[in-house]
Amino acid sequence: MKKFFNLLRKEIKELVTLQLFISLLFTIGLFYFIGQMAKKEIKKAMTVQKVSVLDLDQSPLSKSLLDNLRLMNFQVEFSKTAGQEEAIQSAKDSDANLLLVIPGGFGESVSKFEMQPIETYTFLRSFSISGTKNSAILGAVVKAVNSYISDDFLKKKFPDMNPDNLKNPIKSRDYVIVKNRMAEGSASSVTSFVYSQSIVVPIILMMIIIYSSQMVISAIAMEKQNKTLETLLTVPIGRTSIVSAKMLASGLVGLISAIIYMIGFKYYMGGLMSDVPVAANIGNVIHKLGLSLSANGYILLGISLFAAILCALALATILGVLAEDYRSAQSLLMPVIFLVMIPYFISFFSDMNSLSVPLKVFILAIPFTHPFLATQNILLENYQSIFLGILYMLIFFAVLVFIAARIFSTDKVLTMKLKWRRKRLLF
Amino acid sequence: MKTVLQVDGLKKTYGTLEALKGVSFEVHEGEIFGLIGPNGAGKTTTLRIISTLLSPSGGMVVLNGFDLKKNPEKFRELISYLPEEAGAYRNLTGMDYLRFMSNFYAETAERSEEYINRAVAIAELGNRLDEKVGTYSKGMVRKLLLARALMTKPVLTILDEPTSGLDVINSMEVREIIKKFSREGISVLLSSHNMLEVEFLSSRVALINRGIILDTGTPQELKEKYSAPNLEVVFRSALQ
Repeated sequence: MKKFFNLLRKEIKELVTLQLFISLLFTIGLFYFIGQMAKKEIKKAMTVQKVSVLDLDQSPLSKSLLDNLRLMNFQVEFSKTAGQEEAIQSAKDSDANLLLVIPGGFGESVSKFEMQPIETYTFLRSFSISGTKNSAILGAVVKAVNSYISDDFLKKKFPDMNPDNLKNPIKSRDYVIVKNRMAEGSASSVTSFVYSQSIVVPIILMMIIIYSSQMVISAIAMEKQNKTLETLLTVPIGRTSIVSAKMLASGLVGLISAIIYMIGFKYYMGGLMSDVPVAANIGNVIHKLGLSLSANGYILLGISLFAAILCALALATILGVLAEDYRSAQSLLMPVIFLVMIPYFISFFSDMNSLSVPLKVFILAIPFTHPFLATQNILLENYQSIFLGILYMLIFFAVLVFIAARIFSTDKVLTMKLKWRRKRLLF
Repeated sequence: MKTVLQVDGLKKTYGTLEALKGVSFEVHEGEIFGLIGPNGAGKTTTLRIISTLLSPSGGMVVLNGFDLKKNPEKFRELISYLPEEAGAYRNLTGMDYLRFMSNFYAETAERSEEYINRAVAIAELGNRLDEKVGTYSKGMVRKLLLARALMTKPVLTILDEPTSGLDVINSMEVREIIKKFSREGISVLLSSHNMLEVEFLSSRVALINRGIILDTGTPQELKEKYSAPNLEVVFRSALQ
């Protein structure tokens, strides 16, 4: 074990370089900066916004409309101009992003249910969130006023009826059922909540797999390029220990790097989501449906992720042997990236159960598919699929380690190369 | 004189290519045995097989009574191999590299320190040993690697083209180090296509060409046998 730890220490020393630290710090800084910028933009969008108003009507209805705008956090500023053209020009020159023109006779025509539109002008001074949000809010205000006017009319005509029942005679109560649990709520909002909570898992997984694989492939390729591998293979330590030390060191450094990246990502998401209120009732629905990960769920997910990382490291070790130098090692990373990207996108955009059988078999044969599916399988209590996935990955890993150890125990570790021009393996 | 290494009928094939066609020689205790021949003669393949990097296709290799095929781990404990154009880990300091390598051989911390001190004395790199290997010149790296190969005083030191790519001064210094350690009783098996270098260093030499040993003897014996002034002429005559 002493020799193994000696080798492991060296591998970690080789991987943890100043460049790695700088790259990680830079990424965290960048995520933090973007997150803070986004937070600032969102805050800006939620603060009091100025709206320039040209009220040519001055009726009780137009006043009611403007009162509603004030309730929606708008600061109403009346345009001092008399005509529409001048009002547009004046708003353009000011810092207001919105101009609302209420035409003369608006109140009267609305009371007769004759269409006379109000006009809104949005000055797009940037494509930021705050720049585009105002017109949407204004639209919501107009909708609310429409509802108010129609409700008022219906109340006068049918004083015994609820206006909402007249406008929407058919109502639905939505229920979501997961396994044997049921809760009242919308399936789409449950899905989007679960999606937003579990989006982080595939991202972590993809980053760890690609990071660790790149480290293993590069570590072996660098040994070849720097002509240190031959010496290492003649020192008194088992070949399996050489393979395992490289895999373990890369796995550890990859894991730590991914955690640091995720801290940066959390800053980013925290900045983006911190001030967005989450609908209170969705939490109750999720709780009733049992759609949150328990401690056991997290352990299962962790085991699945770990098994996938082991598979990636073993695969990368074999690919690393094929590399002649650091440059060719980068090209050899491509198969691993593809194998991770396929299930990554499938898990986002498609339902595994709706795929054709050959495609499903192909996707499930990729070991990295299983941790991508693990979160939803845990939530939906498909434990058999999870355990089978973990078992498959462990078998896959054992086979790859056996192949890697065989390669390192024979001439092939020095003689096996991938000749791109000849497009074949040479042994 | 005790035989340290015995190579008998060693063969190696790569597909249809026969790299070694039955190579046989012996290395005695405390001698420098040189394998000389042109590029592609089979020198490196022979050394790589003895170093356990390649597996032989036929024949026998015995080191201190241990058979290569049965005990490759024992071989790795007893030998030290310096490949041609070998490198050291660029991100480690010279001292870290020596410590890393000594830990594979030393059972105790005291023994490890002993190996490192010996390597420091051989390399003669002074304070530069505290700097990263990536900052070393080619000559400095070669001296560090030679120090690494000799620090454990192995039963057999295998040196493949020990002065390859070095300038005259560095080559002379490396040769002096090898000579000095041989006088202390270390057996050395080296290969070179520089026949004059081998003539200067070796107690005995084997002439190898196209995977076959043409002749074996001391440089003096071979020069007398072929009536040649140096080993280069000996080699040309042996080829004819």
